[in-house]
Order: sequence, then C-alpha cells, then structure tokens
Amino acid sequence: MAADMRLPTIQKPVSLTFSAFDRKDLVVPGDVITSDTGFMRGHGTYVDEEKLTASVAGEVQRVDKLICVKPLKTRFNGEVGDVVVGRITEVQQKRWKVETNSRLDSVLLLSSVNLPGGELRRRSAEDELTMREYLQEGDLISAEVQSVFSDGALSLHTRSLKYGKLGQGVLVQLSPSLIKRQKTHFHNLPCGASMILGNNGFVWLYPTPEQLEEEAGGFYTSLEPVSVSDREVISRLRNCLLALAAHKVLLFDTSVLYCYESSVHHQVKDILKPEVMEEIVMLTQQKLLDQEG
Amino acid sequence: MLKSKTFVKKTRSGGVMKIVREHYLRDDIWCGSEVCTECKQESTALQRDPCLESNLCSYPHYVIPDTNVVLHQIDVLEDQVIRNVIILQTVLAEVRHRSAPIYKRLKDIVHEKEKNFYTFTNEHHRETFIEREPGESANDRNDRAIRVAAKWYSEHLKKSESDTGPLKVVLLTNDQGNKQKAEESGLLVYKCEEYIKSLIGNPELVDRLALSNDDKNDITSSKVLFPEHLPLSRIQAGLKNGTFLQGTFRASRDNYLEATVFVQGEGEESTEVLIQGLQNLNRSVYQDVVAVQLLPRDQWVAPSSVVLQDEGAAKDDNEEEGEEEKELRVSAAEAARKPTGRVVGIIKRNWRPFCGMLNASIIKGSTRHLFTPADRRIPRIRIETRQADALAGQRIMVAIDGWPKHSRYPNGHFVRSLGSAGDKETEQQVLLLEHDVPHQAFSQAVLSFLPTMPWEITPEVMVNREDLRSLTVCSVDPPGCTDIDDALHCRELDNGNLEVGVHIADVSHFIRPGNAMDKEAANRGTTVYLCGKRIDMVPELLSSNLCSLRSNVERLAFSCIWEINHEAEILKTRFTKSVIKSKASLTYAEAQMRIDDTTQTDDVTKNLRGLNKLAKILKKHRILKGALTLSSIEVRFHIDSETHDPIDLQTKELMETNSMVEEFMLLANISVAQKIFDEFPDCALLRKHPAPPPSNYDILLKAAKSKAVEIHTDSAKALADSLDVARVDGFPYFNTLLRILATRCMMQAVYFCSGMDSDFHHYGLASPIYTHFTSPIRRYADIIVHRLLAVAIAADKTYPDLMDKQKQSALSNNLNYRHKMSQYAQRASVAFHTQLFFKSRGILNEEGFVLFVRKNAIIVLIPKFGLEGTVFFDSKNKVVPKVVFDEEGPSLTVEQHTFHIFDRVMVTISLDASNIQHQKIRMSLIEPVVPGVSVSAPEIEPLAKKPRLDR
Amino acid sequence: MGNVVQRQTRGALRFQLFRKMAGLELLSDQGYRLDGRKATELRKFQARMGVFAQADGSAYLEQGNTKALAVVYGPHEVRGARSRIRHDRAVINCQYSMATFSTAERKRRPHGDRKSTEMSLHLKQTFEAAVMTQLYPRSQIDIYVKILQSDGGNYSVCVNAATLAVIDAGIPMRDYVCACTVGFVDETPLADLCYAEEGGGVSSLALALLPRGGQIALLQMDARLHQDHLEALIEAAMTACKGVSKVLDQVVRQHLQEASVPSAE
Repeated sequence: MAADMRLPTIQKPVSLTFSAFDRKDLVVPGDVITSDTGFMRGHGTYVDEEKLTASVAGEVQRVDKLICVKPLKTRFNGEVGDVVVGRITEVQQKRWKVETNSRLDSVLLLSSVNLPGGELRRRSAEDELTMREYLQEGDLISAEVQSVFSDGALSLHTRSLKYGKLGQGVLVQLSPSLIKRQKTHFHNLPCGASMILGNNGFVWLYPTPEQLEEEAGGFYTSLEPVSVSDREVISRLRNCLLALAAHKVLLFDTSVLYCYESSVHHQVKDILKPEVMEEIVMLTQQKLLDQEG
Repeated sequence: MLKSKTFVKKTRSGGVMKIVREHYLRDDIWCGSEVCTECKQESTALQRDPCLESNLCSYPHYVIPDTNVVLHQIDVLEDQVIRNVIILQTVLAEVRHRSAPIYKRLKDIVHEKEKNFYTFTNEHHRETFIEREPGESANDRNDRAIRVAAKWYSEHLKKSESDTGPLKVVLLTNDQGNKQKAEESGLLVYKCEEYIKSLIGNPELVDRLALSNDDKNDITSSKVLFPEHLPLSRIQAGLKNGTFLQGTFRASRDNYLEATVFVQGEGEESTEVLIQGLQNLNRSVYQDVVAVQLLPRDQWVAPSSVVLQDEGAAKDDNEEEGEEEKELRVSAAEAARKPTGRVVGIIKRNWRPFCGMLNASIIKGSTRHLFTPADRRIPRIRIETRQADALAGQRIMVAIDGWPKHSRYPNGHFVRSLGSAGDKETEQQVLLLEHDVPHQAFSQAVLSFLPTMPWEITPEVMVNREDLRSLTVCSVDPPGCTDIDDALHCRELDNGNLEVGVHIADVSHFIRPGNAMDKEAANRGTTVYLCGKRIDMVPELLSSNLCSLRSNVERLAFSCIWEINHEAEILKTRFTKSVIKSKASLTYAEAQMRIDDTTQTDDVTKNLRGLNKLAKILKKHRILKGALTLSSIEVRFHIDSETHDPIDLQTKELMETNSMVEEFMLLANISVAQKIFDEFPDCALLRKHPAPPPSNYDILLKAAKSKAVEIHTDSAKALADSLDVARVDGFPYFNTLLRILATRCMMQAVYFCSGMDSDFHHYGLASPIYTHFTSPIRRYADIIVHRLLAVAIAADKTYPDLMDKQKQSALSNNLNYRHKMSQYAQRASVAFHTQLFFKSRGILNEEGFVLFVRKNAIIVLIPKFGLEGTVFFDSKNKVVPKVVFDEEGPSLTVEQHTFHIFDRVMVTISLDASNIQHQKIRMSLIEPVVPGVSVSAPEIEPLAKKPRLDR
Repeated sequence: MGNVVQRQTRGALRFQLFRKMAGLELLSDQGYRLDGRKATELRKFQARMGVFAQADGSAYLEQGNTKALAVVYGPHEVRGARSRIRHDRAVINCQYSMATFSTAERKRRPHGDRKSTEMSLHLKQTFEAAVMTQLYPRSQIDIYVKILQSDGGNYSVCVNAATLAVIDAGIPMRDYVCACTVGFVDETPLADLCYAEEGGGVSSLALALLPRGGQIALLQMDARLHQDHLEALIEAAMTACKGVSKVLDQVVRQHLQEASVPSAE
C-alpha cells in the first residue's frame, strides 16, 4: 500500500475576505475594553478597578450596553432550544448524564424522554430499572436544550420524534463556534445522506432513512448494512466538514453542500491533503459569495 | 538589535552525553577604536593614533596577540610601552582555562585605562564567529577564530578614515603553522620576538621576553637530566590508589639537594616526606604542589645537617654533582631515618617572580646567565639578557618560564630591575616583594572611592550618629604618628561614677563593602611598618587625614563608652557611632609629663590622670587573672633626616602612658568581641591565642633551672606569677631575659571566624574572648569588626560576605598570612637597618648574654641594641676546637670553658659583607677568653661625625 | 612544530585542572553571558497555539532550547473522586512531566517523582491565582505540561506555555501569567537563565507575574541570597516577566488574527 508522506508545513486559512487582518475588535486577556462605567459586563469580561477588562482572547461583541468577548474557541455554551448531539456517560437514578462538549455534563431526565407507549405515560419505578435498556453508556443521542441550570449545566429533552437515539453514522467533533445558527439543524442533503449539525459542535452524519414517517424517536436502531455508495457519501461529507473547519468556514447546509459539490473531482481520501483542501474551500467560498451577491 | 542563531555543541563526559548550548551572535559588538565611525560605541579603548614605533611596522597599528603569546609573554604585555592591544575573547577564555594567575594579570591590564587594551567579544560577533569544522582540533579552531577576528579588524578599520592612512592590525603568534596560514590570508603577522625586537626605543623589553620552546632546544644539551613528569591522569590514578601522595614542596634553606614535601593528611594528621638528590627532587620548586612516591623502606634516609649551597658558578649541566650527593648519602646513613620519597609529577606550579641577583657568565658577551634568587629555597634560574653588564650588582626580578627535563636549571626571563644591591630603596623593595607585601601605589579604581575634598560632615552622615564633639577627647600615640586611630576621654558623672570612652576612627564609614578600595584593603590586610617607611593599607587621604583622629578637627568615630566606678568595675557598656573633636594629640612622653606635672590642671590633664588611675587598677585585675607580661626588645633607629641612614639605635622605652592606652584598648577589644559574638555567634571575627603545648616550655624550664629558679607552666597565671618572682641577685637583667625566653615559647595569635572554631581563649591576655577593634586604619580585621558591630547596633546594613562564615574564614586566613608576612618584613627591615648601622659604625665591642646554646654555637643577645647574633665555634677555614654539648644543661664546653644560658660575654660586632645578597652581622667572642676561639678586642674606630638626635 | 604539540598536551592538562577550579564565568567583564546575551536579555521565543485539535487548548513554546508542550482540557465535569468538586469554583488539575529524552542523561521516570510533583503543585498554585475559576463551579480544568527538551527555566517555560494553552482554550483569566527565572551573579541579576547558568552555583529565583497589575502569582526560590539583594532580584524578575508578556501578547494577537472566523454575518 502506498503511503503519502509529507513534511510539516504551516497552513494559512484561505480567506476571500481580507478585512480579517488588523481587526480592532480583537482583544486578549487583560486588555481594557473601556473605562466607561456605563456599560454592562458580559461574558469574557471582568471589572478591574472600574475598568471593563477582557478575560479571554477573542472578539468584542456589543449589544446595546452589554459588552461580551467571544473567545475563538470555547466549550459549548448551551441556550434553550439548541440542538445538540451528545453521548451518554452515566446512567443515574431517573436521569442520564450526557457529554455534550459543555463545561459540565448535561442531564437528560427520564421524564424528558418519550418512552414507548405514548407521550403521556407515567414514569413508573419499573422504568427506572430499565433505563439502561433504553439508553446506556456510550450511546449517542440527539436532543434539544430544555433549560439551563444555575451552575451552567444543561437539561435536555428528546420529546420530539426527530430527537432520540442515533443509529449508524459518523460523529464529527468540531468547534461549537463554527456551527451557524439556523432554523433547522436537521438536513437531508441532496447528495444522499443526512446531517445533524449540533449546536455544540458535534455533527452527526447518517444515511437518509428510507421512510421518514416510520416511528422514530424510539430506541430502536437499525442494524441493516449500509450500502457502499452511502458510506462513501458519508465519508466524503466528513472530510468536507473537516476541510471547512480547518479553514474556519461557518457550517450550515449550503456551505456543506457546496463543499461537497466542489470535492467531487477528488477522491475521498485526497480531500484531507492540504492543497486539495485549500482548493475545495476556495471554491466553496467562491460559491457562497456568488450566492450572496 | 539582536540576531540570534542557535548552534549545537557536543561534548562528551563520562558516557555519551550530548550537550546543546545556545550561542547568540550579535551585531551590536563594537570594535572599540576611536577612529571608527561605524560602530555606535559609547566609549573607546583603542586610540586614534597608536604610538608604537617599530622597525617592522612603520604604520600606525593595533596588536592582536594569540593565546600562547599572552601566556608566555605576559611580562612584556604588562610593560607601559605596549599599548593599544586587542584581546580577543577566544584568547581570554583560553588563558582563563590554562592559567588563573596570568588570567588575573591580563584582566588587570585590560582594566588599566592608560594601557588602552580592548577586549573584543569575537565569539559572539556575527561576522567573526566560526564553527569548528569536522576533523579540526579545538586549538586549531581557536587559532582560526583568532585569524578570522584579525581579518575582520583589518577590513573593518580600512573603512574608517585616519590622517595617517588606514590603521592596521598586527597579529602576534609564535606558532609557525598559524603564522603561515595567517600570511596566506593576507594578514600582517609577526612572531612575538621579532615584533618586540623591532620596537624602537625599548631595547630592555627584549630581555623580558620569555624563552620560547624553539630557543630552548639549542641552549641545553640533549642529555636528559631528569625523569619525565607523569601525566596528570596517572598522577590522579596514583593518588587514588595510594601509591602517590600529594603535598606542598618545601625546599630546604640550607641544602639545595634536600627538601620535604608536606602532606596534609585527613583531619589533623599530616606527614612530611623527605626528598634528597636532584633526580628525586625532579625539578620541583619551592611551594609547588607535587605528587611524591615513597621509596622502599631500606632506601629511607635521615635529613642531613650539612649546609650545601649550589655554588657551581656557571657550570651548566656538569657532572660534579654526583660527588656532593654521595657525600650527602654517607653522612645520612647512620642517623634516624625518615620517610623518603621522590617527586613523580607536578600537580600545580606555584611560580612567582623572584628577586635576586645576576651571576654574570664568565664568557664575555654571552647573553645567557644564571640568576641567584635571594630566597635560598629557590633554585638558580637561567635567563637570557644583553644587559648583563648593566644588571651586575643590581637586584632584579626574574620569572620562571619552564624547566625542561634536559636542563640543569629552570629557564626564565628578566622582568625588571629593582635598583642596585645594598641601596636602601632597593633592599626595601626586595624585602617587600619577598614577603609578598602588596606595596604598589593605589590604583585609580581604588582612589575613585575616596571621598571628594573638601570633606565635611553632612546631615546624612549624622543619622545614627551621636554628637560627642563637646567631650574632652585626646589621643596618645608614639611620636611622629600620623595615623591616629584611637582617642580617649574620661569624665565624672553626676552619680559619682566615671564615664570612659574609647573612640576609634570610623574607617568603615569610608570603606564600603565590596568596592575596589575595600577589596584592596582586604587583600593588603594590614599596614606594614618598616624602618622609615610605612606601606599603607588604605590610601593616605584616609589613613593620615580623614580617618586620623587629629586634634581640633571634627572626625567620625566609633565609640565604646563605659560607665565605671572608682574601683574600675564596669557598670554599663554601650557602643555608638559618633562625631568627636579631639582636644589634643599627645605623645606618650608628653602625656606622661602632664600627668606628673602637678601644676597642670586643665581638662585634658585631669582626663589623663583619671584614665591613668583606672588603667592601673585594670592592669592589676588583669594580671591577677593571669595575663602575661612578656618581653621582647623593640628597637628604634634614629634616622638621619637628610640621608635617611640610621645613626643611632635605641631600644624602645615603655612608659606608664603606653600601658594606660593599651589597657583601655584591651578593654574595648574585649567588650566588642563579646558584643559581636553575642550578636553573630556564627560569623564574628575574633582573635585567639592558643595555649602552647607543654613541650614548648622545655627550653625555658631548663634555662631557669640552671639558675636554680623554678618556673610553673601549668597555667598562664602560674607562669605569670613564677616569672614575677624569678630573680637572681646581682643579675638585674635576668628577669627580662627570662621573659624574652618565655615569649619564644608562645604560639602565634590568630584571627578566626567564630562559626568555624570552638576554642576562643586568648592565652596571653587571659581573656575568654578577644578581637581587634581599635586600629581599623592599619588592620583590616578591625574594619570587619567595625562592620559587625555597626550591624549589631543597627547603625549600618549587613552584606552577604559578612555573614558567610566560609568567606569570613578565608578572609581571616589571608589576614593571618599578611600579618605574619608583615612581621617578617618588619624584622627583615630592622635587620637590614641594623646592618646599615653597623656598616657606618664599623666594629663595636659590646656586652651580651647567652640566650641559647646550640651544638656548635651560642646565640648572644646584646641588650643595648636588642640584637641577637650567633657565635660559631666551627668555621670553615679554621681548626675546629673541641666542643662538647650537653643537652641537659644545656651547656656547651669549648676547650676548657663551659657556656651556660644567661652567661655574660663580651663580643665584637662587625658586618660581614662577603656575600652581597646575604650580608650579615658577624659576632666574635672577646670575653671569656677561650684560646683558639676568642679574638682580641679590636680598636673601636672613632665616629666621624657626632650623631645628631632624632627629632 | 614542537610548539603546537606541547601546547596541546599541556593545554589539555591545564584545562581539566582549571575547569574544576575556576568554574564557568557566567558574566564576562564586557557584560556578555555564556551564550552571548546581555544580563537582561531573554532567550529567543518561538510559540504556536492550537497545536492539537482534540484538546480544548494547546500550545507549544520554545524558550531558547527549553521546549514545552502544554495542553488544556476543560472546563469539564469532575472526573474521578467526587469529593474534589468545589461548589463555588472550578478545580485546576496540573500535571508536569519531562520527556525521558529531555535531559542530557535519559530520565527514568517521566513524571511522578518528587520534583515533578512539586512542579505540578507550583503550576496549580500559579494558575489558581490567574484563572477565573469562580465562573465554573463544580467543574475541572486540566493543564498538562510536558518538557520536551530541558535547558533551564523549566518552570517558567511551563507557565508561559500553559498560559498560551489556557488562552487558546478560551478560559477566562485575569491576565497573562508570565514567568521568568532570574539569577544573581556578580551583583548583577541575569534574566531567563539557561541550564549552564542554573547549574553554575547561582542563586536563582522563579517568579510568575500578572504583568498588567504587577501581582505576583508565585515566587519560588530555594537558594541562599542576601536579603539586601532580594529586592533588586525581584525587580529584575518583574522586568523580565514584562518582557515575556510582550512576547506572549504578540503570539496571542498573531494567533487571533489568523484564527478568527471572518465575521461573515
């Protein structure tokens, strides 16, 4: 088997918008943002001797009187309504602990899941005992943020048919800041696969289910073999996602799709080669700009 | 401003180890030349037009010596003529690794402004750094680095303008290969000898050139005279497995073929190994650290009592030695044997420049001569000089360059001339040099720390300082004293008690720790008093002016003030920094007169009377406690004010006032010692005087017994008491003689650091603790004690070295050494002046006493001059009389007459000038008359001129 | 050529002798140190942030020949003993280790020895002073630092590398933490000691500083030094730390420019 070896090189992210350089709104920890006391202190800032000071490195965001600094890279700061993809880490009494790239593990209460046998079923003691049969450690789920606890932990729910246990597919872990907020995070891509863009940076790629009407949200996972063509599409998508992430392109259905389209001339495994990556991302950005303009 | 490059250096030590070090290359290292306009340097060392006139290089130029030139020709570089020299970092580093003393000398030269030496940090310069190439040795790499730097300089200086054409650089090297390569790359390069010889107007510099190896080959025969020295690795292996011993080589003063090696054993144990014969001595020089191998037991010998001097005039490597050696063996074979060994290698040479005289070669016009050092323990040295005629009869200094195995004598070179032998100035120089007394004028660096004149007391100075200007303070010192470091006061307090203050010059106020002046003073350790000359420890401005507590000027002082009752019991002690204004500076005699003259009733006199009264009581207390009053005769010369020749000799007279001042100084010293020890138990600098071992007293006991007097030596008190009662009727001088003998039994008092020792007792003063506080102008120990005390009373800050007992201990070792040397120098100076005196007086007949009896001689003390001399009964060219020595007596029977200790004799004194380097006083017996031994009293020549009295 | 031969043998002998006796001259009269720096000059810095994708934050830092890799995970759920959970703040967990190949002589234990444990503790104390842990109750922040090559100032380099990694992880800090090791030679403080200098019998001091406010996060010294010199030494250390902070600042800003997502919206 031929292996492709190369020397390490420094890669610069390709960007069509050159305005990124010398931006004034970038601060580093300890930078004083303003000494005007009229502003409110938001995330990523603190007040030191009446001066509003940044505590993280990132860009300053101002909403009316509120000043925040958004770090480049951070753990997921969930908000109510966010779609997340997560992994069960622990089964406790009446709740599951879910790792969602948040700074504390999220909680999925037994009462926040749809159990087989109707939405309004009472949770019995028996259910508590069989919790592990529904979801066990290591299982992946998609869910929505129901509420945020005072210590910042998230409470999740899967009370919709679109959420629930995930079956066969590929998980890609990316930075949460790359996920663009949209109306929907569930996409059936025309290329033949589906994608859940979790707000927490976890992206789930899976073959498009055949019957959408089938009772989903359950705890059943299909173990049917997936066809080679589907697997190739999913792999290509995964690599496209990585390419986009490497060049800090925001992820949403269109950007992923354009990227997928741009990559079809290359073999799946070649996409991760830096020069190919660069070319594909360039094309994608071009297309995005065209579409905007 | 900083361009950095990292590179990798590999060194191996032990196993395989890769050491990576960074090496930054800079482009902000300047050339140091005044001419240069490119370099942005702040100060320049190299002059615009370097004035070294040379036949070889008629253009203005700077000189770059390579490492070997610096190592071997440091004497030349030190000459004032050699200026504008560039010392490369490569050279400096190599010198540092190879010879610490030369490195220090080189650094001293570089620091001297007038020498215009510049150190160029070539190893860190971007353009002159080179990497070692594969297969290149470290030495070759360094040579190349030197060439590259020289090249850089010549290119660099080309660019700058100069009135006399571009400046050039001249590389000096003695290495043929290096020279050739340098020539190939277009550098101006000369051998050091060539260059020095070409210098116009300085022919004597040539003599200071050290012999290089090439020259040595042709002087000496190729015959190998000495066994090869073992390499260091073998020596170390041998030391480890015990076959060799390491020790300090001590040549014998009397026998050039004999020496001992002092081997410091573990703990207190140390042994001496005897070495005999040239082969076994194997080119060791006095004070070298050597490795010795013990000979098998059957080859052990005893030290010979024969006096042998290496007298073969210029018999370079001849073979007569064999006989002398044989003679040595035979005489030694019978007596008790000692461990004997041979030197197998030299671990460290301890060569210094030696003083001595030239033995001109018999061959006319020869340039090679032998040099005889003044110190008999140093072998003669072969030097090369063209000025032999000029140097004959002069005292000169010579440095050893090396001692090849096929040469009978070490090779050396002429360093400088000190002046003609016998001349007072010259002899003084010699004795200073030989006793290692630092006596050069103070350097600019040192003087820069002097306070600016006019000096006055500012308010900042007054912080933590008491104003005692109103007190009636006076000082009492010997006549002619300009460095007055103590003053006293005494007054009655309202409660009837007395307040006594001892005020000591506050030298530590002027000498701040760690600066150049402090370091210099610490190194000198003590002021050295020679006859008619004083070698100051601190610059004169301080010693004779600002620190000297002269009358009617305001001076800073460190005061120790007691409250004392009339029974001389101390009620209170306190210490303070102060300002005083002395009311009178008196001599001992003046003070004594005032005390005795009942008509005087001024404050100063009252003061003195009070002090005197207390002192007497204090002394009584002290003696009751067992303090010893010992005796040694100190001599004073009356010096002719014009010729500075001694015209009369007088033993010093002690007055009551001497003892008065002394008493309070002792008291102050003891009080301070206690205080600093309480405050700093680990690092107080104290002085102790160990009790002598009982065997030391043997001679004293025997001597006393011969006069039926009993001396007890169980304790200091017993000794003091029995000395007090020792009297012999009709022999008033007996007691003094006995005390002189007792003094000889004592140990040396030493400084030490309290953290390093547990025995603090001062035997002579019978004090449990003692230090030196009262003479900071002339003793460095006192300065340290002042600093400690100042910290203890929170008047000054401390500094790290003061609290470091290791450093404190090292310092006290130096002080002890300097103190000892200064005493030797002082004695040597007295001896020299005594000789001068007798030279001018001709032959004298005097009365003396037998002080010691030896196997073949008696040692006679002349009380009038405090002079000691030996009367030999067996001289070389006379028939030896029958001599019987009785060790028990001890007595010596010559023919019929028996000499005992303390016998009164008459001797005639004359100067023996047969050996110009070692002139000595010769004494011959007149009375009692012993046939064949004594001489008839010669006529005393009348004095040409009546001696004037000393003013 | 006799000259050359003799010089080699004698030179070698003397060299062995005097190296032991004289030691190294750490500061020459011309004011240059062993490696050619002046007393206050720092070593060459090279740094990269975000070297690992998996970790929340990571950084690689070279200070001269001392090379360190720092990785930050968190804040995340406390793993292991639940007793470590603090309800008012995050716990910081540090681990310092040295690669077996980092020193001239190969190390047997890369971590867990007394020195490493102590160093870990020091790092923990340093970062507890700087990271705003109160924002993340009940969670944990892991800081792992590894020395890849050791050439003096290990503690300082670790702190600096970890600072970069923490910033990379987007964890709020009051300020940068900058550390520097300084030593005292010939009455002169030397900044940023290299291994040869640290070993040369110098009293050295490591100081971690929050440069903007001038607060000291950690000061560590286990050599003897006279009290009078301490102030001067700390002063020099602070100056050096401020120098370090300038360099780190540049690195972070550069990284920000390169890595920031173009605000397309």
